Amino acid sequence: MTLKQPNKLPDWLEQPNQLSSQRQRHNFLAHNQQHLQQLLARLSQPLPAVQSKKWQLSPAMSLVRLGILVLLIALTNNTGWLWLLGLLIAGHLLLLSPSQFRRFCRSWLMSTVIALLIVLPSYWLVGSATVLLFGFKTGLILASTQYYRLTTTFQALLSGLKALHCPNILIMTLAIAITYLRMLGHYLLQTMQALDMRLVAPAKHPYRLIGTLFGNLFLKSQAYALELYAAMEARGFNGHYVNQPTTTNRWHDVLTLTPYLVLVTLFIFGRYYGIN
Amino acid sequence: MALIKLTALSYDYPNTRGLDQLNLEINSGDFVCLMGPNGSGKSTLLRILSGLENASQGDYHFDGQAITADYLANPQDRQRLHQQIGLVFQNTDVQLFNTSVAEEVAFGPRQLGLSDAEVAQRVTDCLDLTHSSDLRERVPYQLSGGEKKRVALASVLALNPKVLLLDEPLNGLTIAAQQQMLTLLQALRAAGKTIVMASHNFKQVQAIEPRFVIFNVAHQIQADLSAAELAAQPEQQAELLTL
Amino acid sequence: MHIPDNYLSPATCGTLVLAVAPVWTVAVIKVKAQVKAKRETLPMLGIAASLAFLIMMFNLPIPGGTTAHAVGGTLLAVLIGPWAAVLALTVTLLLQALLFGDGGILAFGANALNMAVIMPMVGYACYRLVQKWRHPKIGLFVGAYLGINVAALVAGIELGLQPLLAHTASGAPLYCPYGLNVTVPAMLAAHLLVAGWVEAIFTILVYQFVAKVAPTNLYTPTPTQSRRPWAYLLGGLVLLSPLGLLASNTAWGEWSPAELKQRLVAQHLSQQGPQGMVRGLHFKALFQDYTIGNLPISVGYILSAVTAVLIFLLLMRGLQHDTQTTK
Repeated sequence: MTLKQPNKLPDWLEQPNQLSSQRQRHNFLAHNQQHLQQLLARLSQPLPAVQSKKWQLSPAMSLVRLGILVLLIALTNNTGWLWLLGLLIAGHLLLLSPSQFRRFCRSWLMSTVIALLIVLPSYWLVGSATVLLFGFKTGLILASTQYYRLTTTFQALLSGLKALHCPNILIMTLAIAITYLRMLGHYLLQTMQALDMRLVAPAKHPYRLIGTLFGNLFLKSQAYALELYAAMEARGFNGHYVNQPTTTNRWHDVLTLTPYLVLVTLFIFGRYYGIN
Repeated sequence: MALIKLTALSYDYPNTRGLDQLNLEINSGDFVCLMGPNGSGKSTLLRILSGLENASQGDYHFDGQAITADYLANPQDRQRLHQQIGLVFQNTDVQLFNTSVAEEVAFGPRQLGLSDAEVAQRVTDCLDLTHSSDLRERVPYQLSGGEKKRVALASVLALNPKVLLLDEPLNGLTIAAQQQMLTLLQALRAAGKTIVMASHNFKQVQAIEPRFVIFNVAHQIQADLSAAELAAQPEQQAELLTL
Repeated sequence: MHIPDNYLSPATCGTLVLAVAPVWTVAVIKVKAQVKAKRETLPMLGIAASLAFLIMMFNLPIPGGTTAHAVGGTLLAVLIGPWAAVLALTVTLLLQALLFGDGGILAFGANALNMAVIMPMVGYACYRLVQKWRHPKIGLFVGAYLGINVAALVAGIELGLQPLLAHTASGAPLYCPYGLNVTVPAMLAAHLLVAGWVEAIFTILVYQFVAKVAPTNLYTPTPTQSRRPWAYLLGGLVLLSPLGLLASNTAWGEWSPAELKQRLVAQHLSQQGPQGMVRGLHFKALFQDYTIGNLPISVGYILSAVTAVLIFLLLMRGLQHDTQTTK
């Protein structure tokens, strides 16, 4: 190896660069960076639970409530029933703070419109009544899931699943996935930025770059897995995921679930009496 | 006219402040060393200078051109800026993504439309300058931390940027490698390059007499001193030694 | 390909969860064995789930100025092993359904079957088959392309069956309003033409990178691979197939081929679909050189079912041969 004297730089480095600029059609990196930044912002700020401290539903119960609600909406085709369920959801929405309610409306309207756009052409096939019913039901389901997402933190979801006796391994894997989604996302973002810094002209083979991006990300994720396993062992990992004790009242849970349980009972037995 | 000019520039993270009301001018050919406690905003400033982030308030002018969100949203302008500014990341892992060191260094110059011979020349020169010629055929992913630092610098140098931004370039290097790195930076400074580096290694950096820009925990610039001015302030020096 | 809620009837959703359950069971058993040899597989499941999440949210540029995204099912199967991929992708889908609103909560079983089971398994089987002829990259490319297309086909069938399975007394569909004549061609066209290629190219490029930079980090199947899980899986699926009876609101068992034909034709005609579509547009895509378009529709359906079974058996055959030679 020949060591050059550091004070003797090559000629090209002594002269300033000729700036070149080429037209670029698509900028997939910038687009994805934005997308990823939004995700990371969302992950780093677990949404505050909106319900009052006095009347907090346990995570397991809110999960059960979501399940009942979605199932009821999906099962019924009676507009009266749907109306009732819609009122119930609207009642819950009253608990949201104004800013959260605005956020809810934005994302809910957006997702409902997208869902409706797909179904709209079927108007010519099946008529307006079916499309309206479908749209109404889809809107209600989206509203209930959106409400759940808005009022539940990742941690609450995990302890809810735990209380519902999900296997420990699944909960641990979910917890790892959520944690590392942030870490890998951050790594991917930085790699894209580094690429961006050196991508001084339009990429000739954008797909090759994407291949290296995700190849690197996979290798990094393996390195994380090795580290994480070592850390788990070092802390005496025994395969159990310990959740925080919940500070909610069972009585509250049952009371909050009552309208839903009444609805389920009505739904099941209502058939015999022609209510449904 | 200053090459880099910041006017009342602030940057906010979602929950916290990142930079608070910075006013800073850096002239062409300056060698600036950013110092300060962890989280005081050194890396954030480098990211703003390189155009990876936008300031929340205030202005950033590069070579007379205002660098705004709109300017950066235009791919052509963005690339023009990146041709003039090179950044060596603190975590060099994210910067090396090719399948061999030679490919890594050739990645930038190849896009500039240089001939194969010119690209090969630049690769050889840059690897020589960073004392990494023996790594030429290695896979960057498998290099050690110090080796990655050198290769990352080589790959940025190959683009021949006007401004070189370095985030903790001395971390993870042996004392000998730190000396080599600083000697190279001095040579680049002599060639007229503008260098802005963030570092904790006050003792090593002091030897090459840069201009010190010192941050405090409130994300503000606490002091902006030439090496000679700093030499006259023993308390300030003592504080920097504890970083 | 994420099926949202309310497109599938709750009965179908329940049936599909039951159908995937044995696969998950086998996957857990197989991964436990894998964990013994490679301890970090356990945390890798969660990390791979987040990797899959990032792959699915990354917009890839496609000619024409729009974007598509890859799913990475086959890629993950090759990188971390097929059974680990099944579990990791399941976790990804669960996260997406519960926290990000991609894919329905009730439709979770259907999405898991399509994207977490069918896609990695078909892709991996292809990869292993062609790998034995010493062309792993071709196998991977074909596998990724086939994997996503088979998954899309199944998703199309799941959606398209809804008007048949769940409708009011007057015949108005309650869930997905489109019949097979719309859903299958729509899903297949999108995936055969665009998404399949995106998936295949993405998969091969990432694989190439990893194979070049760190070949030892790729998943290598243990040589003493027992065939028993496959037998369990097939047996389980065969046993579970009568569950289809539960899924329908009408008498599924009474569907003789003739009646099926009658139903399908009635369904399609009531939707006033163009005649060419009724005759099976999607068959033309699969069998371009054959004049299958002139056959009665029921024969076409049966033929395609038999073809699918045969393809699956052939893939299995290839894998069996492998275990014998390596023993």
